[in-house]
Amino acid sequence: MTEILDSPVAASELPGELRAHLMSPVTHAALRIQNAIAMGSREYLARHGFVELFPPIIGPVTDPGVRGAKQIDVDFYGHKYKLMTSVILYKQASLLGFDKIFYLAPNVRLEPLETATTGRHLVEFHQLDVEVAGASREEILDLLEGLIRHTVSYVLRESEADLESLRRDREAFTPLLRDPFERFSHREAVAMLRGLRHGQSADAEIDWEGEKLISEQTNRPFFIVDYPKGSRGFTDGESSAEPGVLRNFDLIAPDGYGEMCSGGERTYEYRRLIERMRETGENPAKYAWYLDLARDGLPASAGFGLGLERFTRYLAGLDRVWQATAYPKLPGIATP
Amino acid sequence: MTGLRAPHLPEPAIRARARDGTAAIFPDVEGYGRTLFGAVPAAGQAGDDLDQAQIVPPVFVPRRLEKLYELGREPLFGDVDLTTSIGGFTVPLPVFLCAFGSTQVADSALGLAASEQAGRLGIPMVIGENVVPMHGYGRSIDGPADGLLGRILAYSGAVPDGLGGVVVQQSTEDADAEVWNLVYSDPSATALLNTGRLAFELKVGQGAKPGLGGMTVLSRSAAAAVSGQYAVDEAFGPQAAMVLRSSSPGTFTGEILRQQVHLMRNNFPRARVWVKLHPGRDVRLAANVAWNAGADAVTVDGAEGGTGWAPSVFLQNVGLPLAECLRRIGKHDADLLVSGRVWEGSRVLKCLAMGASAAGLGRAALLAVSEDAADGLVRLVRCLELELRLLLSALGKYRLPDLDTADLWFPGQYDTTEEDRMP
Repeated sequence: MTEILDSPVAASELPGELRAHLMSPVTHAALRIQNAIAMGSREYLARHGFVELFPPIIGPVTDPGVRGAKQIDVDFYGHKYKLMTSVILYKQASLLGFDKIFYLAPNVRLEPLETATTGRHLVEFHQLDVEVAGASREEILDLLEGLIRHTVSYVLRESEADLESLRRDREAFTPLLRDPFERFSHREAVAMLRGLRHGQSADAEIDWEGEKLISEQTNRPFFIVDYPKGSRGFTDGESSAEPGVLRNFDLIAPDGYGEMCSGGERTYEYRRLIERMRETGENPAKYAWYLDLARDGLPASAGFGLGLERFTRYLAGLDRVWQATAYPKLPGIATP
Repeated sequence: MTGLRAPHLPEPAIRARARDGTAAIFPDVEGYGRTLFGAVPAAGQAGDDLDQAQIVPPVFVPRRLEKLYELGREPLFGDVDLTTSIGGFTVPLPVFLCAFGSTQVADSALGLAASEQAGRLGIPMVIGENVVPMHGYGRSIDGPADGLLGRILAYSGAVPDGLGGVVVQQSTEDADAEVWNLVYSDPSATALLNTGRLAFELKVGQGAKPGLGGMTVLSRSAAAAVSGQYAVDEAFGPQAAMVLRSSSPGTFTGEILRQQVHLMRNNFPRARVWVKLHPGRDVRLAANVAWNAGADAVTVDGAEGGTGWAPSVFLQNVGLPLAECLRRIGKHDADLLVSGRVWEGSRVLKCLAMGASAAGLGRAALLAVSEDAADGLVRLVRCLELELRLLLSALGKYRLPDLDTADLWFPGQYDTTEEDRMP
C-alpha cells in the first residue's frame, strides 16, 4: 500500500537536522529511486559490453577545477594528493586495458559559495562515468540517449510506488521515452537565451540562470554541443575541422532541472594535451604521470559523466538536489 | 624605519614624503621669502625617457574656459577631478598598489601595513604571485596571517565603500596551488566579490626580468620545503647558506593567452580579469590579445620596474623601458595600467598623457611603509595626488581623459601639429 506524502518534494534551501532528513519518507523514496537508477544503468551498460571498474579516490592530480571550484588536498606520505573532482584522467588511462568502461564514482569539489542555494550543487556527489575507446561524440550521444531512456523505463517500472508517493507525474517522461533528444549548438543556445532576454556570453559556459531558463522551455532532455574553447578544461577535445570549437556536450534536463551530464571527445595526443594545458593555465609538470602515458600513446575516446544525484532529482521530481543524498554537503556549510 | 633600500630610486625624497606629507613636495618652507629658487639644472640628462620628458602647459587653455563656464569662477587646482575607473574598480585617483612578490622585502609586516593603507586610500591593491605557495594562504590550519588572507582582511577592513578593489595574481606555478579557486570560494573574499571589487590577474611576465620567471634567494631549509614546486640552484656556491629559487616564466602564445583569459572569465564570472605583461617587444600585440579576449585591464611593467631580485645582466640590458612600451601600445580604448619607478605626480601624469589609465606604486610604496608603517604610504600618495592636481590644472585640464601626448615634450622633438590647429 502506497503512502501518499503531504507536499512531498517541497524543501527549504538548506537541509535541516540530519536525523529528520535520514528518517524522512522523501529521503527514503529518493534513495530507493537512486538505487533503481544505478541498477538500470548497470543493466544497460552490461548489455552493451562495458566493464565496471572501481574508481580511484585520490591521486597526484585530478580533473582541473572548472567554474571556480577548488580541489581538496590530501597528504599522501608527504606528497600533495587530491581528492577526485572527477576520474576523467583515470578513465582515459583505463582504456589501455578495456575499450568500454564505467565507474560509479564519488567526486568532491569545493564549489563557490554562491552555489549553495542553487538547489543544483553538492560538494560531494557521484557520477556515472562512462568512456569508450575510439568513439565519436555522436556515438556517445546515442549511447547516452539510450541509457537515459532505458534507465527511466526501468525506474518507472521498478520504483512505481516511490514515484507515486512523491507524486511524480509519470506523464512527464512520455516525451523523453517517445521522441529523440534535440541537439543544439552552444551558439544556438546563446541565441535562444538572448531571445529570452538573458545576457549570455558567447565565449563562456551557459551560466546557471541561463541553464535553468533554457531547461524550462522543453519537455524532454536535450543536448547542447560545441562549446567554445575557453569554457572548459583541457580534456575536452577541440574540433580539427573547426578550431576553437570543442567536440563536447552537456545534457540538459527539462522543466528547469538543468544540466545533468557533460561529456565529449577527449584530448589524447601528447602535443595537443601540452597546448591545451597551457591554454587552460595549467602547469604540465603537475600532470607528469598522465603525460607520460600520453607520450607513449593514449587511445582516442569519448565519454561522459552523468550526475547521479541530479538524475535522481529529475526522476523523483525533487525541489533540491540535496534531497537525493543521505548526507548532503553544500558549499560552505559544514555538515556530517 | 627599516633597513630597506632602493638604490635606483630617490630614496631620501620618498622617505621625506612618507614622513612629512604634502609639505615635502615644496621647497623647505623655512626658506620662503629668503631664498631664490629656480629650475634644477638637467643634471647630465640622467634618468629614462619619461624622466626627460617635460610637461608643457599651453598659454591658451580652452578647457579651462569650459570649466569656468561650469563653475562660474576661475578654476583652481582643487577643481581637478581625479576620480576614475581602472580595471573595473572605482578609484579616487589613477594610482594602484603593485604586487610585491615573495621576495623578502615584501614579507610580513610591510605587506600588511601597505595593504591597510592602500585600503584606506581606496586604491586597488595587487597581491603578488607566489604569496600563497611561499607564505601560505593564512587559514588557521595552513599558515601565518601575513599570507594572502591577512592582506585581504587588512585591506577590506580599511577600504571605504564603493572604492578600490583587491587583485590576486596567479602565475604558472601558482596554478598548482589554485590560488584563484581558493580565494573565489573563501568566505573572507565574499564581501569584495559581492561588491564587484575582486579581480584576478594572470601574470604573464614582470618588468625586472622580462622573459624570466620569479627568482628569490632562500635559505637551504626554506628551499627544501618548496623544491617540489620550484627549481633550486646552488648559484652562490656549494658552501653558501643561501640558494636560488626560480619559477618558470610559463609558455604563452596568442592562442594560449586568449584561451586563459576566456577560461578566467568562464570560471570566475564575478571577478574582474587583469593581465600583467612584461615589457616585451610585442607588447602591443599581447595587450590587444588580452583586451580582445575580455581582460578588464592590462598591466605593463617597464623594464625599470619590479621589486624583484634579478641577475644584473637583466637589470641593465633586457626589456623595453616604460616610455617605449607606451609608445608601442599607442592609442587604445581599454584600460592600460603601468608601473616602473613611479613615486611622484609628474611620472604618473606623463604615463597618463601617453595612454595609461593609471600607474602603480611598487618599490616607492614599500619604502614609504618602511619609513612609517602607520601612514607612510598614505602621505606619499597624498603628495602625488596634490602634484597631479597642480599639474593638470597647469595644463588647463580638469579631467584625466583630457590628457594627451601634446602635454609632453621630449627633448629633440617638436611637433607643430597642435599649433597649426590653433585659430
